[in-house]
Amino acid sequence: MTGAGEQRTSAGWFFEGARQAVSGPAWIVGLSLASVGGLAHDVGLSASNAVLSTLLVWAGPAQLIFFTAIATGVAPFAIALAVTLASVRFVPMVVSLLPLIRGSRTSLATQIFAAHFVAVTVWVETMRRAPGVPREQRMAFYFGLASGCILTAAGMTLVGYEAARMLPTALAAALLFITPIYFIAASMRGAREAMDWVALGFGLTLAPFVETLVGGGLDLLVTGLIAGLAAYAARLAQRARRRA
Amino acid sequence: MSVGWLVDPAVAPLAAMLILAAAPNLILRVVGVLLSRGIDEQSEALAFVRGLALALLAGVVGKLIANPPGALAATTTTGRIGAILIAVAAFFLARRSIFAALLAGEATLIASLALR
Repeated sequence: MTGAGEQRTSAGWFFEGARQAVSGPAWIVGLSLASVGGLAHDVGLSASNAVLSTLLVWAGPAQLIFFTAIATGVAPFAIALAVTLASVRFVPMVVSLLPLIRGSRTSLATQIFAAHFVAVTVWVETMRRAPGVPREQRMAFYFGLASGCILTAAGMTLVGYEAARMLPTALAAALLFITPIYFIAASMRGAREAMDWVALGFGLTLAPFVETLVGGGLDLLVTGLIAGLAAYAARLAQRARRRA
Repeated sequence: MSVGWLVDPAVAPLAAMLILAAAPNLILRVVGVLLSRGIDEQSEALAFVRGLALALLAGVVGKLIANPPGALAATTTTGRIGAILIAVAAFFLARRSIFAALLAGEATLIASLALR
């Protein structure tokens, strides 16, 4: 990895990122979006709009909310609110990712462009892989990884759309469950300290209960804050114990 | 003159998608970019935000298991929880393999549908 790796140009790191994407993570998000494409077909959206939703929205849960809302005729404001509340995660995801990949001279426009490509797979894999990439090449590596994921996913959205008629419900359900399993397993794999385990465990188990207690779509925010604060408390406790 | 048709998925699906789904996402991402300014890779602030992001993502998955969208609604709660537990078990049994977790979890979910 060292020797040749240090000689790599930005283009080289871009393609290395893309290569790493298509040799695994891109298919995780791709298979999930095949199922989303199938749903787009079922609610009567055109194939091009289904693919555009992957390229422009690039958030599985938000796409699911939007397509389901089309089918059930939800009021526009309610759709936008539901999407916003479900996508709040992007704020801490972007805040925690950018300091890891940007250089001292990365422009604001580049950072916003980079933020558009953040999704669960891209986030998990970049947080895990970027530390092994030379600092000044991380943005190129990230864009390669993200492009590999989003282009594969856009193609798979179309495949899922076209295959919707043949796709049995069991398979469509199985496809939708790939990202949840992947997220849990990849997060356990990447867990570095007690904090990560607490965030994961609390977030997973609290969400269903908070959902029944807190209305108005605010439940995810409440779950995130409780689990996030508990996780940080675990970090402080672990440090205090080490110091003692 | 009303501009309501712009956000009516039945009339203008692409415009509605851009305004109701793409725009809120973009705004939240830009908020993230602005809030990230001045945050250092090694800082405690970053550690806290990383935990928050992980907690929110876990929350999304927890909600998905409790209230499944789309085709996932055809599965049972027991099937979904069972699939996650088996996936976690497989992860550790196969020396922390993500692939093993995916395989075992998916097999469990499909089996739960077949046995229903």
